[in-house]
Amino acid sequence: MALIEFENVSKWFTEAGVTVHAVENFNLSINEGEFVCIVGASGCGKSTLLNMVAGFIKPSSGRILLEGEPITKIDPRCGMIFQNYALFPWKTVLGNVEFGLKMKKMPKKQRRELAREYIQMVGLTGFENHYPSELSGGMCQRVTIARALANDPKILLMDEPFAALDAMTRQVMQEELLRIVHDRNKTTLFITHSIDEALILADRIVIMSARPGRVKQDLVIDLPRPRHVSDQLTQDYLDYKNTIWESVQEEVMQNMLFAERKLA
Amino acid sequence: MSVDLETAKLTAEIPTTRAEIAAEPLEQKMRRQRNRVISIISVIVFVAVWEAVGRFGLVSPIFLPTPSMIYQEGVMLYEQGIIQADILASTRRVLIGFGISALLAIPLGLLMGTSDVLKAIFDPILSIIRPLPALSWIPLSMLWLGIGETQKYAIVFMGSFAPLLVYVIDAVRRVDPLIIKAAKNLGAGRLQVLKEVILPGALPHILSGLKVVLAVAWTCIISAEMVGASQGLGFRIWNAKSWNNTPQVLLGMVGISVTVLTIDVLFKTVEKRLIPWERSRR
Repeated sequence: MALIEFENVSKWFTEAGVTVHAVENFNLSINEGEFVCIVGASGCGKSTLLNMVAGFIKPSSGRILLEGEPITKIDPRCGMIFQNYALFPWKTVLGNVEFGLKMKKMPKKQRRELAREYIQMVGLTGFENHYPSELSGGMCQRVTIARALANDPKILLMDEPFAALDAMTRQVMQEELLRIVHDRNKTTLFITHSIDEALILADRIVIMSARPGRVKQDLVIDLPRPRHVSDQLTQDYLDYKNTIWESVQEEVMQNMLFAERKLA
Repeated sequence: MSVDLETAKLTAEIPTTRAEIAAEPLEQKMRRQRNRVISIISVIVFVAVWEAVGRFGLVSPIFLPTPSMIYQEGVMLYEQGIIQADILASTRRVLIGFGISALLAIPLGLLMGTSDVLKAIFDPILSIIRPLPALSWIPLSMLWLGIGETQKYAIVFMGSFAPLLVYVIDAVRRVDPLIIKAAKNLGAGRLQVLKEVILPGALPHILSGLKVVLAVAWTCIISAEMVGASQGLGFRIWNAKSWNNTPQVLLGMVGISVTVLTIDVLFKTVEKRLIPWERSRR
């Protein structure tokens, strides 16, 4: 059984009398332990999809199943990692990481111990008592990853988590994420508009069409792991990159034509 | 990649450690010290000019007594224990009235800020009461409560409650919705979100609101004491004016100023302890 199943999911928003179809008849199933990247032009409804899995918004039609049950509300089994970190500024690193456990009413001593373990996992030992404002962007994103994982979610939802980081930090974070996710055998649904990022990370890449978002292509990425920057020069890698790029480019063009028509 | 190397990389990534944040550059420190000296000199010059204006007869001391006259008046009232009792009386009234106001406005504001229904219920009432100056409550409050202590608390309460409520609601609305989303995603229920996210998230703005409204509370009590009281700084000023005792009028004013400043300093100390995470941002 798939861990996550999108069944004919559509989402439309009506604003000022205009209805926008963000996602239409989206079908996808994600298996346990898979790392799936969704790639698509901006405005294709990628984030809408993720927000629906997390339960922040409801599909207009169709449904999303988590372990066979439809998602109807915000579900802690889907651990969300935001691009802007969304850390609690008034809590220290330790306080942030143990938040989910505290909500579960886990005894203080136990949750502290567990939180420290996750802080160590993301390499932030020694920073337990720092506030987020005292940390760099890369460190903040490490905290959010530890915070989400400490809550032991079934699936990690990541919405362009590294987009705000500089190129060097981003690369370090990508490698770290793979190490952690494989260590913990976590299923991950990752959104990005960087094809390189997707190719470094994913077991599968799902390319979305321009709005309304649909699955345009579902590619299994059969590149050896661990993947390094040097692998980006291999023929296999370049073939994948070309295929994806052509596919995405079509959609970008369509998006631009659509925008032009709207202007005219 | 080994873990050690990873940690080393990470450490290089850190912009500033806490110690670095705490230690300001030498140049900045010197500039601050210089400015402090300028401030002190400024006060001395101000008082000296004031004194000279009176001494050389440029302005009659009946209209503007000199600092030394105010000082003498102060020593006299201090020896009789009057000025201390006045300061204490006014401060107590402000703190009690303001305290009740805060105790009610903070929880109500948290609820109104998060619930549209509650806001719809209380908003119209609030918007009717809010424009009323605290002074306009004085006649009614005297009719209901006389001129005792309760009436003083009531005036401070009426003057501070509505503005405080508005501040708290605004502070709640300013909490980043993304953080609330994140908390819910981590399994926080409605009450947990309120206690663990909205209250601490709104706290910095609530505290600055409290600071502003505390000053409003002082204007309330001074006015109320001028109209009907037998003690307190407002009464002292009004009473002195009836006796044409201008030094005492000014002494009362200095008393207000010093007391409010002292409370402000205390408030800032408490604030620093309540919101330590704001330290590195300032």
